[in-house]
Amino acid sequence: MITAELQKGWAKSLLEAAGSAPAPWLEELRSSAGALIDGLPLVNRKQEAWRYTNVEPLLKESFQPVVERPSGYPGEVPEAITPHRLVFVDGWFMPELSDTALLPEEVTCGSLNDAIAAGDERVKNRLGSVADPGEHLFTALNTALVNDGLFLHLPAGVKLESPVELFWLNSGGETPLLAQPRNLVILEPGAEAVLVEHHLPGEGERYLHNGLTEIVLDPGAKLDHYRVQDESEQAWHFSRIVLDQGSDSRYHGITLAFGGHLARTEYNGLFTAEGAHCTLRGLYTVGDDQLQDFHLDVRHDVPHCSSREQFKGLLYGKGRAVFDGRILVAKDAQKSDAELTNDNLLLTRNAEVDTKPQLEIYADDVKASHGTTVGQLEANQVFYLRARGIDEQKAVHMLCEGFAAEIIEHIHLETLREQALARLRQTLGNL
Amino acid sequence: MLTIKNLHVNVDGKEILRGLDLEIGTGEVHAIMGPNGSGKSTLSYVLAGRDGYEVTEGEVIFAGKNLLEMEPEERAWAGIFLAMQYPVELPGVNNMSFLRESVNAVRRARGEEELDAIAFMKLVRERAELVKLPEKLLKRSVNAGFSGGEKKRNEILQMALLEPKLTILDEIDSGLDIDALRTVAEGVNALRSPERSFLMITHYQRLLDYIEPDHIHVLAHGRIVRSGGKELALELEEKGYGWILEEEAAA
Ligand SMILES: Nc1ncnc2c1ncn2[C@@H]1O[C@H](COP(=O)(O)OP(=O)(O)OP(=O)(O)O)[C@@H](O)[C@H]1O
Ligand SMILES: [Mg+2]
Repeated sequence: MITAELQKGWAKSLLEAAGSAPAPWLEELRSSAGALIDGLPLVNRKQEAWRYTNVEPLLKESFQPVVERPSGYPGEVPEAITPHRLVFVDGWFMPELSDTALLPEEVTCGSLNDAIAAGDERVKNRLGSVADPGEHLFTALNTALVNDGLFLHLPAGVKLESPVELFWLNSGGETPLLAQPRNLVILEPGAEAVLVEHHLPGEGERYLHNGLTEIVLDPGAKLDHYRVQDESEQAWHFSRIVLDQGSDSRYHGITLAFGGHLARTEYNGLFTAEGAHCTLRGLYTVGDDQLQDFHLDVRHDVPHCSSREQFKGLLYGKGRAVFDGRILVAKDAQKSDAELTNDNLLLTRNAEVDTKPQLEIYADDVKASHGTTVGQLEANQVFYLRARGIDEQKAVHMLCEGFAAEIIEHIHLETLREQALARLRQTLGNL
Repeated sequence: MLTIKNLHVNVDGKEILRGLDLEIGTGEVHAIMGPNGSGKSTLSYVLAGRDGYEVTEGEVIFAGKNLLEMEPEERAWAGIFLAMQYPVELPGVNNMSFLRESVNAVRRARGEEELDAIAFMKLVRERAELVKLPEKLLKRSVNAGFSGGEKKRNEILQMALLEPKLTILDEIDSGLDIDALRTVAEGVNALRSPERSFLMITHYQRLLDYIEPDHIHVLAHGRIVRSGGKELALELEEKGYGWILEEEAAA
């Protein structure tokens, strides 16, 4: 059982190891978030948002926050698909492993901590303004321990030709580490970028990744955001992505979640002006000893915005998944257009998914729909392939790939799409 | 090539085939006609190896082997092909990749070399043209959203690629317009040879005008109740099944 004592005690021990902040204003931000922790509801079954996601074993584990930049990285850094490569170890930006030389001069792309230390006003003005630290224990913890992460800023009208690629790695070692990246992405009016994130174990096995990303899209800005979560089988992974979308801005997000022991991805989208569009897509696979949890919360507060949420899950062994997708259309948000789907393919009897789509609509002139399915492979389809000479195992793989293809095909970077397919095949090979 | 003896098949505990006998020689074309629900598709599925059909009696020998002991893919490797009455849709599975996978799986099993992408592309283009399957359908998901006629052409394309020894066509003519029927028939006729056999299931004389069978059988109540030549089809077209069923009941 998660008691107040357990939750507070766990957070407290982590906060004690916080280390110093690079600027006084950040110290304030941190401590106000820290002060929230004692008053937050317990992350237990009584809260709808945590009903099917048991974090008790996590709160019984002790972690060492990484409060300064690691001196180096013992492992190999994977190959990048673009010239703009940023490597983070235990949540810290590693300049010597990264390459941003080819980015246009007017673009800021690198360490959040460095930007704060250098007195960057843009960070000071926006950090913490998009994401509510009091959402839950893990967002408060992230904010109370802000150190490093990505700071990406594109001035008005700048369009990046190549994607910016991030690698999140872990250094491992005896004590399980806590990586706490805090990312801030600001695209000024009309700016365009593609961001690719790889969450990888690196040298780590047991660790906790608790990331929080704030994204500000000014009017007309466009961001394609691909995330591949392929953490170690023993890792805990939390990611929250919070969007603040101005008029006519576009956000296309895809998360492919393959890894982790317990992984939770949260998207929180807010439209602040008319004409904005947001697409969230995801593919998750879970097997024995794995839980993938997706929580979406998209708010249409203003008229004429559209959102699409499409998530698909492949479950096998004793894999478990949770999907909670909420779209809220406020009273004044007329002509909103929202569509949410979640489809799950259960390959074994012991796999389990709890899926809950929620449309809350207070406006009367809107287009909104949702649908969820939980099913098994159709015997007819398997037979059709076998009758064409394809053996049963291959037939199952082809059908699973076909199921996943509806997400993967939306990746507009060919190399990444191929990587994703190869990674999926690796999982299917273990069925 | 195919010998079926006294075949009894249950579906969901109900006996659908009740002592069916049929002999198809190498190079022969047979047609099966019969009322709705008489068991024609059941026979075709049993031959292709679909689950859910319980053979309670009888045997099926194909090219000297006990067909009923083989897995569906093994039957495909051995040269059996069923063009289904209702081809299955496979959303997300690219048609071209599927066709290549299928052709290469069969080639592998037969000890032939796999076709590389280029060689396969050439082959598939050539065969697709034969059955007049628009090339854009190769890029889509298998049968997903295909029209009835497009699905049937896709079945015939697969037949043309796999070059089976025994092709079973279950109502290949249903849902086809007249031009498509002619194209499909041309596809079948192009494959006709002294080494290949066909079993066509149909309700209509028209298909038999295009693909002339050597033998025609009437399947009713789970058995072949009458066999004959081309003239039997004409008689059926004229008089329906009533007289055969009456004669059978009287016997
Ligand atoms: N899976 C099943 N479950 C229950 N009954 C079945 C099943 N499959 C077939 N049947 C029954 O078996 C009988 C024969 O069906 P079948 O599809 O073989 O007929 P058919 O001769 O092909 O008919 P049609 O000319 O309409 O295509 C029918 O009464 C049908 O309802
Ligand atoms: Mg039938």
